[in-house]
Amino acid sequence: MTEMISTYKLSKQYDGVYRVKDLNLKVYEGDIYGFLGPNGAGKSTALKMLLGLVKPTDGGVNMFGKEFGANRLFILKNTGSLIESPSYYGHLSGLENMRVMQRLLNVPNRNVDEALRIVRLESHKGKKVSQYSLGMKQRLGIAMALMGFPKLLILDEPTNGLDPAGIQEIRELIQSLPQRFGMTVLISSHLLSEIDQIATKVGIINNGELIFQNSMDALRAQSKRTVALRTQNISEAKSILQKYRFTPVHQDDYLIFEDMPDEQIATINQLLVTSGIGVTRIEERRKKLEDIFLELTGKVSSL
Amino acid sequence: MLIRTFSSECIKLRHSYIWIVLSVLPIFSVLIGCANYVFNRGILQNEWYSLWTQVGLFYGEFFFPVLIGICCAFLCRFEHINQNWNSILTAPVPIRDVFLAKLMMVGLLSAVTQAFFLSLYFIAGKWVGLISPFPSETLGWIFRGWVASLAIGGVQLWLSMRIRSFAVPVGVSICATLIGLGLYVNHLGMFYPYSLLTIGMGVLSQDSLAMMEHVLFYGMSGLFIILFCISGIRRLKKTDIVA
Repeated sequence: MTEMISTYKLSKQYDGVYRVKDLNLKVYEGDIYGFLGPNGAGKSTALKMLLGLVKPTDGGVNMFGKEFGANRLFILKNTGSLIESPSYYGHLSGLENMRVMQRLLNVPNRNVDEALRIVRLESHKGKKVSQYSLGMKQRLGIAMALMGFPKLLILDEPTNGLDPAGIQEIRELIQSLPQRFGMTVLISSHLLSEIDQIATKVGIINNGELIFQNSMDALRAQSKRTVALRTQNISEAKSILQKYRFTPVHQDDYLIFEDMPDEQIATINQLLVTSGIGVTRIEERRKKLEDIFLELTGKVSSL
Repeated sequence: MLIRTFSSECIKLRHSYIWIVLSVLPIFSVLIGCANYVFNRGILQNEWYSLWTQVGLFYGEFFFPVLIGICCAFLCRFEHINQNWNSILTAPVPIRDVFLAKLMMVGLLSAVTQAFFLSLYFIAGKWVGLISPFPSETLGWIFRGWVASLAIGGVQLWLSMRIRSFAVPVGVSICATLIGLGLYVNHLGMFYPYSLLTIGMGVLSQDSLAMMEHVLFYGMSGLFIILFCISGIRRLKKTDIVA
């Protein structure tokens, strides 16, 4: 697998405080990498460092296996990006905005038409961008990022300000990019549900530090089922079951077991009842992805 | 690549009102200058040269440098708003070209303004009834004025890229022009971009420049242009973009 982005110990300090610290991001070819974190976690700062807009205090960036500093033009030529809110010139029409970018990218006219078609802005391309809705500006920003049909696309919260239909549309678009155009996508978001639906890989950043980076499936695997059992005498029940090689965890007046087949649960129940301990509750529990995210980031309120 | 960046700058000027500023200020200078000339014909007896002192005074000593300041602030304003630095500086063009393309645009706008001013001066001269032949020195004044405008443009662009406000760099250009008048009077004009314009355009003294003065004028203008380009480009490269 080819490494598209790899950062090593990437850090940024502002006034002595780390906004991003020791970030080791790895994005491979064909990934849709979801970069997830609560607001203010350092996502935008990290993405801006990838593109050279913000200069790292420490560490470095490799893109396409090349060091950023010495290969800036090569890297930018193969990377499309939309950082923070979309960039646009309000006094120009959508098409004129595309033309500005077209000159800088040096791509043929058909790229402009194609990009506008993909984000479905063709019918509004003559209108001044200052009169666009936020959703249209966002789509224009995506069109500008797509125009060069780059190998790598970096989108910072691309569904911000879109209505549910628009979000769905952009989501489908992003999902289709690796297959249709062979692109690798890095998308940031503060919404787990969004990343959950599109991403194949996920990196979770909190307080500037990467606290999880693996495949989406690996994150989902953490949301396994458990069985919780409540009895009239928890500690005695625990010691009895341990004799039979069960390994429950005592937590909040419950004994928690990893997921197990029905027969085993029946066995446990029978063991306890015959020992004279009344079983009051047996529940199946499932940790939601949201809970894992919240556990990892330690933030409940901001989401 | 510089040409590509410059041509993208050209698109950005569509539908803008900068042309109004570019035409109104020279018209204004020539009108005031003409009125002065007509009312003071008694003392102003040197035909075209006298007219030049009058129209040139308002133009070269005040409106033109401020106009350059406005152009520079204008060219940076639409980049400062709506996060456009993000998109320009992630486009595959050298950062150097981003600054140079803007300076080229300032050069183009000031060249157009100078040409417009020259034709207004000619029309005004005919209109007030000057009969002597049109002095060829004016072409030199206009050209040197343009060279000095690039030096001022370098300074103003450098300021406008750094300061997000529109008014502040324009205000600075007004103050700097007034200071320039003081330095010119004290014979220090060659070492200050805003007074180079006064010298180059022969506003206060129509005596042609000596050979050494020519060398000094072009040398100093070139020096200011190079200095502020290097500093401006360096800053774009080194500092973080805050959108």
